[in-house]
Amino acid sequence: MELRDELTQDYLDRLRAVQPSDLPEDLDLFDEATATRGRRLNKAAYSLKDEHQRELFHRDEAAWMAQFGLTDAEEELMRKRDWIGLWRNGMSIYVMVKLSGVTNTPLPEIGKQMRESGGANG
Amino acid sequence: MARVVGGIGASHAPSMEHIYDAGEEVRESEEWQPLFGPFKDVATWLEELRPDRLVVIYNDHMDQFYLDAYPTFALGVAAEYPVADEGFGARPFPPLPGDAKLGWHVARSLVADEFDITICQELEVDHGVISPLPMVDFSEGEGGWKIPIVPLAVNVILHPLPSPLRCWKLGQALRRAILSYEEDLRVVVVGTGGLSHQLTGPKFGRVTPEWDQEFMRLLAEDPESLTRYTYEELIKLGGTESVEVVNWLAMRGALPRDARPLVQAYYAHRIMGYGLQTFEVAA
Repeated sequence: MELRDELTQDYLDRLRAVQPSDLPEDLDLFDEATATRGRRLNKAAYSLKDEHQRELFHRDEAAWMAQFGLTDAEEELMRKRDWIGLWRNGMSIYVMVKLSGVTNTPLPEIGKQMRESGGANG
Repeated sequence: MARVVGGIGASHAPSMEHIYDAGEEVRESEEWQPLFGPFKDVATWLEELRPDRLVVIYNDHMDQFYLDAYPTFALGVAAEYPVADEGFGARPFPPLPGDAKLGWHVARSLVADEFDITICQELEVDHGVISPLPMVDFSEGEGGWKIPIVPLAVNVILHPLPSPLRCWKLGQALRRAILSYEEDLRVVVVGTGGLSHQLTGPKFGRVTPEWDQEFMRLLAEDPESLTRYTYEELIKLGGTESVEVVNWLAMRGALPRDARPLVQAYYAHRIMGYGLQTFEVAA
């Protein structure tokens, strides 16, 4: 009982506010769930900051991909340039931009796919 | 003693880099004049104000910091800041001059104020800094960058994010850091990011001009009211990536309460609500 008293209403309000929990499903969040789900995909796309990685990507995409321990499904999303799928599987937009660069995909094209995707889980 | 002599809130975006790099003609085209015209006014204002330093509150986009160790607040204490390669090769700008001595002082002052920032002796800056900055402080040719900077990065990418109230208080602490610096420097504080944009999911491209303009009005007239917004509310109002506006709020926190807006421009175009707002401080 005493321990519970330390958890003031003010504290509990702050704790609740720090994790948005009532967003409509078409507005997403990069948080514990997303960052955990997208760990491998994000690492792969992030690597493209390095010009040697970009070079390898162009020379031998399969060898580039093999570095990151992606699942078969994740490799398939990469190969198909399935932007919505990559997003649903936790890829951050900020590393997706690096992948868009190396694959020569303009952001509006990614946006078009995103808009046509229906819903966050759909 | 150092003083805060002004503030700038400015959007940052790769699109602004593309337009800047495309040259004067594109910048002054009918399409882009509504944004780049006001930026010229800011450059003129800044030239008259003659600040010695810019403290730039911004956010990185996984170009310096990554998810292996993501800092909530990170401060540059370097003598210069190279331009990051964001995945397309770095833009051909020379490194931005820094002020390590001021950086270290700000680091000590922030820690004394219970803001336990990550201290960076090396820091590459991305479009969070160098999409708006050339418009106000860069001369082609020999001139280059004119004003040394101190960069201060805020995590607005990986939730949990520091609350809007916390960012406001960071700005207030930054103000104390500047006012307690022994050198007689004139400092302008810059906050970059936003305004409304949504880059993920079926709402990709959503821009909400009414909220953006309300945000700018509140930032000028009643900034503390913005500290009461939650991220859930900010995301609903302006989009997932629009939460960068807390960088503006931190900037405003570093200014005196009676700072007055001067240049104010807003342009909703394509997938961005572009905002630009300067604040003048009574001498």
